[in-house]
Amino acid sequence: MKYVAIIRQVPDGESKIKVDGGRVNLEGATLILDQMDEYAVEQIIRLKEAHGGEAVVVAFGPERTEEAMRTALAMGADRGVLITAEGYVDPVTQAGALAKVLTEEAPDVVFTGGQQADWDSQALGAAVAEALGWPSVTWTTAFELEDGHAKATHDLDEGAEVVRVALPAIFTTQQGLNEPRYPTLPGIMKAKKKEIKKIDAAELGVSGSKVEILEQQIMELERKQKIIDGTKEPAAAAAELIKLLHEEAKVL
Amino acid sequence: MILVVMDHDGNELRKGALEGVSRARKLAEALGGEVAGLVVGPGAEGVAEKAKDYVSKVYVVSGPDWEAYTAEKWAKAAHAAAEAAGARVVVAPASRTGRSWTARLAVKMDAALLEDTLDSWAEGDKVYATKYSFLNRVLEKQAGTLPAVISVKPNTTPLAEPAGAGTVEPLAVELGELEKKVEVLEKIAETGGKVALTEAEVVVTGGRGMGSAEAFQMIEQFADLLGGAVGATRAVIDAGWRPYAEQVGQTGKTVQPNVYFALAVSGAVQHQAGMNKSKVVVAVNKDPDAPIFKETDYGVVGDVHQVLPAMIEEVKKLKGA
Ligand SMILES: Cc1cc2nc3c(=O)[nH]c(=O)nc-3n(C[C@H](O)[C@H](O)[C@H](O)COP(=O)(O)OP(=O)(O)OC[C@H]3O[C@@H](n4cnc5c(N)ncnc54)[C@H](O)[C@@H]3O)c2cc1C
Ligand SMILES: Cc1cc2nc3c(=O)[nH]c(=O)nc-3n(C[C@H](O)[C@H](O)[C@H](O)COP(=O)(O)OP(=O)(O)OC[C@H]3O[C@@H](n4cnc5c(N)ncnc54)[C@H](O)[C@@H]3O)c2cc1C
Repeated sequence: MKYVAIIRQVPDGESKIKVDGGRVNLEGATLILDQMDEYAVEQIIRLKEAHGGEAVVVAFGPERTEEAMRTALAMGADRGVLITAEGYVDPVTQAGALAKVLTEEAPDVVFTGGQQADWDSQALGAAVAEALGWPSVTWTTAFELEDGHAKATHDLDEGAEVVRVALPAIFTTQQGLNEPRYPTLPGIMKAKKKEIKKIDAAELGVSGSKVEILEQQIMELERKQKIIDGTKEPAAAAAELIKLLHEEAKVL
Repeated sequence: MILVVMDHDGNELRKGALEGVSRARKLAEALGGEVAGLVVGPGAEGVAEKAKDYVSKVYVVSGPDWEAYTAEKWAKAAHAAAEAAGARVVVAPASRTGRSWTARLAVKMDAALLEDTLDSWAEGDKVYATKYSFLNRVLEKQAGTLPAVISVKPNTTPLAEPAGAGTVEPLAVELGELEKKVEVLEKIAETGGKVALTEAEVVVTGGRGMGSAEAFQMIEQFADLLGGAVGATRAVIDAGWRPYAEQVGQTGKTVQPNVYFALAVSGAVQHQAGMNKSKVVVAVNKDPDAPIFKETDYGVVGDVHQVLPAMIEEVKKLKGA
């Protein structure tokens, strides 16, 4: 069996975001393997450990994505394929290119992150599946292989459901699916030698994007930050707080 | 022509359907043509009789094949309706399920996908939208080519008013091989609180610093007093103190209440992604450097086990007065 994780490199949620000239500027930001994609990498490594086969990471993104791919290889994936393109490309266009690579790779099971920590998009997994004519399951919290099918539990708008899916299929991750492992030092050393094949997106027919980002701005609401010290007299602080909420904020 | 896919619960249209109609009307004004609707699934015939008051024509896809939702089927139905209507833009709710089938639909239509949009409009041969990105920390403007698929973030758009009776047209859609590949085995109902978290005007969230499942009785009491809903952080869900349905954040629910209480919550970015659009944020934390205080209007530095009981007493006094 072959398992693929589609991954992305994104800014760490902990690092501050800057905007210059109406554009997010990632210079100086810590870039990491998207934490929702970490679940995907962990899942394909576990599948390989349990059933044998190959665990491959695939990505569509700028050259720097190689760093995130090395992290996935250090966790235990076998090799990588990176489709390179600078700048924003919409998920439908990305799906076309990724589908070509996946047709070549012919995996049985594909995992990818449930939501991207940069574009806040949830579309990629389902879009790639559609481009391949495969089924997709989003927000997967439990997964097992069963006689050529997969049985998966996944979140809906409210509640969840259990589905049986014919393979090959694409699953997007949700917290609870697994606990991603940390790369070990030997893992990091080995990852340096693992193969990453790079393909220019243009070679896969990508020219431009159907969606263009025109302008970005930091969206932080001004907060009043009226902080009361309640370490010595908690009851008095609570009284002052409730008074402020009632009389000033008028929310109680 | 603009197609709006109208969510319903089997009897009534959901709010998201009427938000979608408002968006579709605005797009139709700019692009020309009328607004058609689609209702799919159990109860669709009945709902169509209500939906027709909002659009010029309602397509209905129903029958035994359409009892259970799958992304593959819903995308297929929407594609069939878009073709029947000659729609260049499809509008749908950005619920979790909406966002999975619209991704498939966009590929079928080779369309620009504008996801989870706050507002959308058209000019010339382009559609525009605003949306949040970077875990809800950035507001961005996007432009997409036609055809386009636009999903509407819940509670962003005024609900449409009825505009006179349109027609109802059943649409026969055959399932193909792909649509038969996912079989729903079992539904698991959500175990949530009395007040729906995403609709609540007051949300009271407890974090890991509450210390135990029992300590959430205080949270519940406070929420009850204010007619609010209980929320929780992921650390609390992982500890098994509260059900996942109450989780607020990137991988939980997004809330936007009048007032949000973050009690013994550190304020991780993934948590903030679900609450940072709240009107007023109140925090209690014993650590004056907790990140949540940067996102707070009114806060108390102190032990939640001392401050919260006093807050409860103060609110009781206020309500008694
Ligand atoms: C080019 C453009 C950029 C926009 N940018 C944003 C944005 O950043 N955030 C947002 O929430 N909404 C934006 N909008 C949407 C806009 O604010 C309205 O929601 C939308 O145009 C419909 O408003 P209306 O029908 O009330 O017409 P009105 O607001 O009365 O507009 C009348 C005319 O002005 C045009 N117009 C309105 N607003 C703008 C604008 N900001 N820039 C250029 N033309 C405009 C409209 O298309 C229309 O032709 C933009 C619209 C356009 C056309
Ligand atoms: C991919 C991904 C998705 C995630 N999605 C979510 C999500 O949807 N929602 C979410 O919440 N998290 C999410 N997280 C986890 C998030 O990063 C944090 O770990 C989590 O929010 C922390 O929860 P917490 O604030 O309850 O706990 P902690 O970070 O441990 O904070 C506890 C706080 O309580 C305070 N405290 C302790 N004792 C007291 C006391 N007696 N009185 C007052 N204050 C006290 C402490 O000072 C501290 O600030 C996600 C993480 C990842 C990687």
